[in-house]
Amino acid sequence: MIAEILKAYNEAVFETDKEAAFEVVEAALAAGLRAEEVVFKVVIPAVEEMMSSITKDPDANLAQHFMTAQIAAEVTERMLQRFAHPPAILGRVVIGTAAGDLHSLGKRIVMGCLKALMVEVVDLGVNVPAERFVEAALEHDAQVIAVSAMMVHTATSEQGARAVRRILDERGLSNRIKLVVGGAPYRFDNELYKIVGGDGWAADGITAGRIIIHLIRDVKSEQNGQNEQNKQHEEREHDPA
Amino acid sequence: MTPILTAASAAHCLRLPVVAGLSVRDLLDATALRVRAACGGSGACGACLVRQIGGSANPFTLAEYQKLTPEQREAGVRLACQVRPQGDLEVALDDPAPPSPWRSVAAADLVPLTGALPELHSHIYGVAVDLGTTHIRVALWNRKQGQRIATRVGPNPQGVFGADLLNRLAAAHATPQRAAELAKLARSAIVQAVRDILARDLGEVRPMLAQIGELLVVGNSAMLALLTGEGLAALLDPDSWAEAVAYQPSDPEGWRSRWSMPHAKILLPASLFGFVGADLLANLLATGLTQGPPGSLLLDVGTNTEIALWDGRRLWVTSVPGGPAFEAVGIRHGMPAEAGAIYRVRAGGGQGGLQLETIGEQPARGFCGSGLIDAVALLLERGVLKRSGRFAQPPGPEGYRLDPENPRSALTGGDVDALQRAKAATAAAMAELLQRAGLQWGELRRLCLCGAFGHTLTIAHAQALGLLPPIARQRIELRADSSLTGCEMALLSGEGLQRLAQAGERLEAINLATCPGHEERFIDHLLLRAIR
Repeated sequence: MIAEILKAYNEAVFETDKEAAFEVVEAALAAGLRAEEVVFKVVIPAVEEMMSSITKDPDANLAQHFMTAQIAAEVTERMLQRFAHPPAILGRVVIGTAAGDLHSLGKRIVMGCLKALMVEVVDLGVNVPAERFVEAALEHDAQVIAVSAMMVHTATSEQGARAVRRILDERGLSNRIKLVVGGAPYRFDNELYKIVGGDGWAADGITAGRIIIHLIRDVKSEQNGQNEQNKQHEEREHDPA
Repeated sequence: MTPILTAASAAHCLRLPVVAGLSVRDLLDATALRVRAACGGSGACGACLVRQIGGSANPFTLAEYQKLTPEQREAGVRLACQVRPQGDLEVALDDPAPPSPWRSVAAADLVPLTGALPELHSHIYGVAVDLGTTHIRVALWNRKQGQRIATRVGPNPQGVFGADLLNRLAAAHATPQRAAELAKLARSAIVQAVRDILARDLGEVRPMLAQIGELLVVGNSAMLALLTGEGLAALLDPDSWAEAVAYQPSDPEGWRSRWSMPHAKILLPASLFGFVGADLLANLLATGLTQGPPGSLLLDVGTNTEIALWDGRRLWVTSVPGGPAFEAVGIRHGMPAEAGAIYRVRAGGGQGGLQLETIGEQPARGFCGSGLIDAVALLLERGVLKRSGRFAQPPGPEGYRLDPENPRSALTGGDVDALQRAKAATAAAMAELLQRAGLQWGELRRLCLCGAFGHTLTIAHAQALGLLPPIARQRIELRADSSLTGCEMALLSGEGLQRLAQAGERLEAINLATCPGHEERFIDHLLLRAIR
């Protein structure tokens, strides 16, 4: 049954037909599929399929990219409300566009993919000051800050990702919070992310999702390691011997 | 059938629809194939020689008897300014004017205006300039008599720094040298256009430059910032968009002296909000939008699309960087509305069941904006394209040829994508303004479409793609050059800056980037289908 549903859903996504995608999902639920299965066995494979086909397409159609990410995010959000147990969230990301940049659509694709991949996203909107990124990351206990910039001058600006990097370094947060960047200028120059102090970058939404999940795991294992060390340290201190 | 003027030189062969009342010179002045000229078309200079090789025209005029020898007349030589086609006409240009980026604004795009300043006694000439991102339009007026001497349109040479406004602003902001370079490009283009008019239509350049008393420039904020080098940082920082910038020539004496216009008052209106500036005011003035009924919408389509909605009490305004797709920039075989541009596509006839109409009836070299809309709409209608923007059968990297024989008639997936995003940005912005005003699409009483498409847009196709709202055709007005018209009206009022400022009263500027739900709306409008 899953195979048929996946086929119908893929078709709807391929046609970027949101209404049809919702119809397929509702029919699947009515036929006894659980919301969890819809997300993990239908939505995520469909997003991956779509993104990879778009990435290979020489005439990549951004409009279809936007519509696909939107469908994935909306279907996932609707399914999350019907999960039997609260979904296991892998981690949390704060995302926004760099100071001076109002181009929000690239960020939107990444958000759609992250949500479908079970990463919680705190959207700070557009034209976000560097301090706000860091404050929000601390406030929401996020493992990753994602800064989007669609123009060369906002990607390389001293007020954008570079400033976030500086604040993280100054406040000794670099192990606790990772910085990823994305947007057109990073696609043209694949080394630019290092120059602005990013811990990673990605060319498309699904890759961004994978890289962010990877960084979230790094931060968490480092924190666990720290906790482990602290625990051992405490144990030693309390060791009467 | 409209009679056709065929004009051939060694380099060009154009076929132009005849317009009643216009001379061969008038018709050719709006193309890249111009006759030589040094007077306003009175027959006084005798420079505009053409040779009639077929068809019919009016008999020789008095001026032609004076300027042409009997041998010349015997050989069919005519003065282009004196000869008017009567039915089809074929002429040869043995010695055309040297190539120039400037040509006259098409007669159909010009509006007769009644203003005049009879009290003026000196420096009676005035220049109206519409400084666009892609094109510069200039009109020279005898202000005292209220007479339009001539107009010119040509490319904005700043285009070499990018079709996109932000690229140019960032380039100018990066170094003062680059800013100066960009400013100089625009300033020289303006004076070249004026000099071209003086040389060809008055026959004297320098003495006439000294008779120019006023030069009024309208353009979006970015264009005026790049012209003056002022306010560049403010435009790159969205936090400062709410502050109006008063653009002033950094060195007006220097401008006057380099332009050889010692008496020209140079007037540049202030910006309104962010990128919305004097070009919108000029459009408002030309269309009288706020004098019309509530539910009047103005859409100035271009690289930077500006939209204004009058709801009877307030004027809601926004701008969208819709991308240059409507001007066919960034389209694989996109081109300006020049000879060889596909400006219209019709069903039936031709190979592949599509009939391509090109400017000058030349072999198709590419699409201009209106042709692109027609092409996508017809391919959608025939199921070649799906409403997602995908081709039903992938046409391969070369794209889908509308004319199977002509590779330059091909449309690629990327082209469709660019058009989808541009039209979605425009439609979503209109939807936002309607919501602010509490109006529905069906309540639009009047839609003034200004800018890139000119008069050749097929409204029904623009509606089928979801670019224009589905309202009755008679409520939609095509106003090709209304920002130049508004600038001319302001110039002729004698108090240009005040007139423009008044046109923008009761204006509420909306920054779409901060509107909740705007992105969802944009994405909802990406499908190729009628607005609903």
